[in-house]
Amino acid sequence: MALLTEVQKNYGKLKNYVNGEWVDSTTDKWLDIENPSTGATIGQVPMSTADETKAAIEAANEAWWTWRETPPIARARLFFKLKELMEQHFENVARIMVQEQGKTIDEARGETRRAIENVEVAAGIPSLMMGYNLEDGAAEGIDEDAIISPLGVFGAICPFNFPAMIPFWFWPYAVATGNTYLVKPSSQVPLTMNYLTKIVEQAGFPPGILNVVNGSHEVSDTMMEHPKVKGISFVGSTPVAKYIYKHSAENGKRVQAQGGAKNSLVIMPDANLDRTVANMLASYYGCAGQRCLAGSNMIAVGNVADPLLKKWLEGTRKIKMGYGLDESVNMGPVVSAKAKKKVIEYIDGAEKQGAKVLIDGRKAVVPGYEKGHFVGPTVIDGVTPDMTIANEEVFGPVVSFMRMESMDDAIEFIHKSPFGNAASIYTQSGKSARDFRYRVQCGNIGINVGIVAAMAYFPFAGYKDSFFGDLHGQGQDAIKFFTDRKVVITRWY
Amino acid sequence: MVECDFPECTTFGAVVRFSIELEKGAAGIYEELAKNPKAASGATLFKELAELHKKRMASVENMRQQKLNEMILEPIQDMKRELYLIDTKVPAGADAKAGAQFVMKVEETSSRFYVDAAKIAKMIMAEGSRFMDKLGKENLAIKARLAAL
Repeated sequence: MALLTEVQKNYGKLKNYVNGEWVDSTTDKWLDIENPSTGATIGQVPMSTADETKAAIEAANEAWWTWRETPPIARARLFFKLKELMEQHFENVARIMVQEQGKTIDEARGETRRAIENVEVAAGIPSLMMGYNLEDGAAEGIDEDAIISPLGVFGAICPFNFPAMIPFWFWPYAVATGNTYLVKPSSQVPLTMNYLTKIVEQAGFPPGILNVVNGSHEVSDTMMEHPKVKGISFVGSTPVAKYIYKHSAENGKRVQAQGGAKNSLVIMPDANLDRTVANMLASYYGCAGQRCLAGSNMIAVGNVADPLLKKWLEGTRKIKMGYGLDESVNMGPVVSAKAKKKVIEYIDGAEKQGAKVLIDGRKAVVPGYEKGHFVGPTVIDGVTPDMTIANEEVFGPVVSFMRMESMDDAIEFIHKSPFGNAASIYTQSGKSARDFRYRVQCGNIGINVGIVAAMAYFPFAGYKDSFFGDLHGQGQDAIKFFTDRKVVITRWY
Repeated sequence: MVECDFPECTTFGAVVRFSIELEKGAAGIYEELAKNPKAASGATLFKELAELHKKRMASVENMRQQKLNEMILEPIQDMKRELYLIDTKVPAGADAKAGAQFVMKVEETSSRFYVDAAKIAKMIMAEGSRFMDKLGKENLAIKARLAAL
């Protein structure tokens, strides 16, 4: 099977998008953008300066009041237009994502669909941001209204694992509710957002409404410290999420900071093993394990362990690795050499602590892609609750196989984790499923589902150290995060 | 002759790609037959079926774009590529009847592919399964029309 065509071989030096213009950065610091499957350099991204970031924030602030006065239905129309354009450019968006991130084309298509779904939900803004009122609410003849209003400029600091979907968890809702926006894409994967921004421009959003500044800490810190920025959305690792939450809050911002994860999937003795294994393969190895919702610990309860492990090893051995533009590939590389090194260190560490590596992806090589950052699917047996690999986020295609006596033991182990992003149970018992859902302290619970990815109209975030903030991303939470409530009490004589 | 590039059916996306290639191949065969003076008596039907397969190809692409999501990317391990390959090289000098006989084999293979794909898709994506099942049945209906030519 021939590879699907790359949209471009090289995307050159990226520009920033500020106030409706594509502008060159004045920085002398540039990073290469690498195709993680081939090792080829496919573009350069600027590490933009604080002044460039401030200019984008000022432009967003300048554009805000006029945009706020634009009726919600008129704002919604632009999102309908944007949706249509995204459908037209669907395949290009997905292929660029494969090039820069390494995921498979199906995963990239799925992610593009997720981005579009957020646009579709945001297009319903006239209904979503309606306020409420009560006649005689204050006293007889005195009415009370709650009006939902936008606040000004918001910004997102985005990670490398979902270059399209994650910026779209935030900016469509912010802009639809009447705010203006600044996105800082991950400097590892800026091409997808760059392409999508051209589509946004084509849809006719006025200058200054959506701005994109590429860069690193300097851009992020400027966003967090600038007095005209009202709120920050972030997705990344827990240490950075903590920093973003603290630093943004110190500067008076609203914050939603999504951190890391360590997700356990619990398999009960009554689980349908064939369906469970097929479903879990996508959870552990999808996006090469670089999802905050990816399975990491596999907890076999009771006597299911041996038959489960046998089937799991069979399934794992059939995973085909390669460049995601080959449609028959099941799994791509991890995003960088640094990421690969980190994953390998975790596998080494587990081995040193006494676990047994049954399938070893450390030395995986894909013929023709020797410079790619591939880590093969890895299965580690004999992992115990005290081992590092059972407790820290690996962010790679590594399964820590654990054996426990009961569901209670599994829940107790999950509760001891500092993370609370997702957990799943595989069972045919409604009682077990209900208990699990009720007791487990995670933001996302799967019942016979290994990737608990909330749809655009539901909120998404974790618990504990997986999330810092209160209002989650997407859905009604997003509307609340990007707006405030203004109460008006009216009396006429 | 239309060149088709059939993948190994290891992912749902690859199954969809296989189906796109099947439709492309079938449309190409019908177009070639429709232009062939020796098969003139079947030209109207061949043109109609070429268009139908192009529409089916667009529907398959649309299904992939609209329905595929990351929760259904389970590896597929039970569909063997070799079982569903089609021959797109129309025999030289084929008249309408010979052309119809040739393309009936393509419709039959396609139908088998869709029926098997629908069974696998049933556990992954119910809508995709229904869609493929419908295409498979349509292949057999087309085959019956060709037999009557």
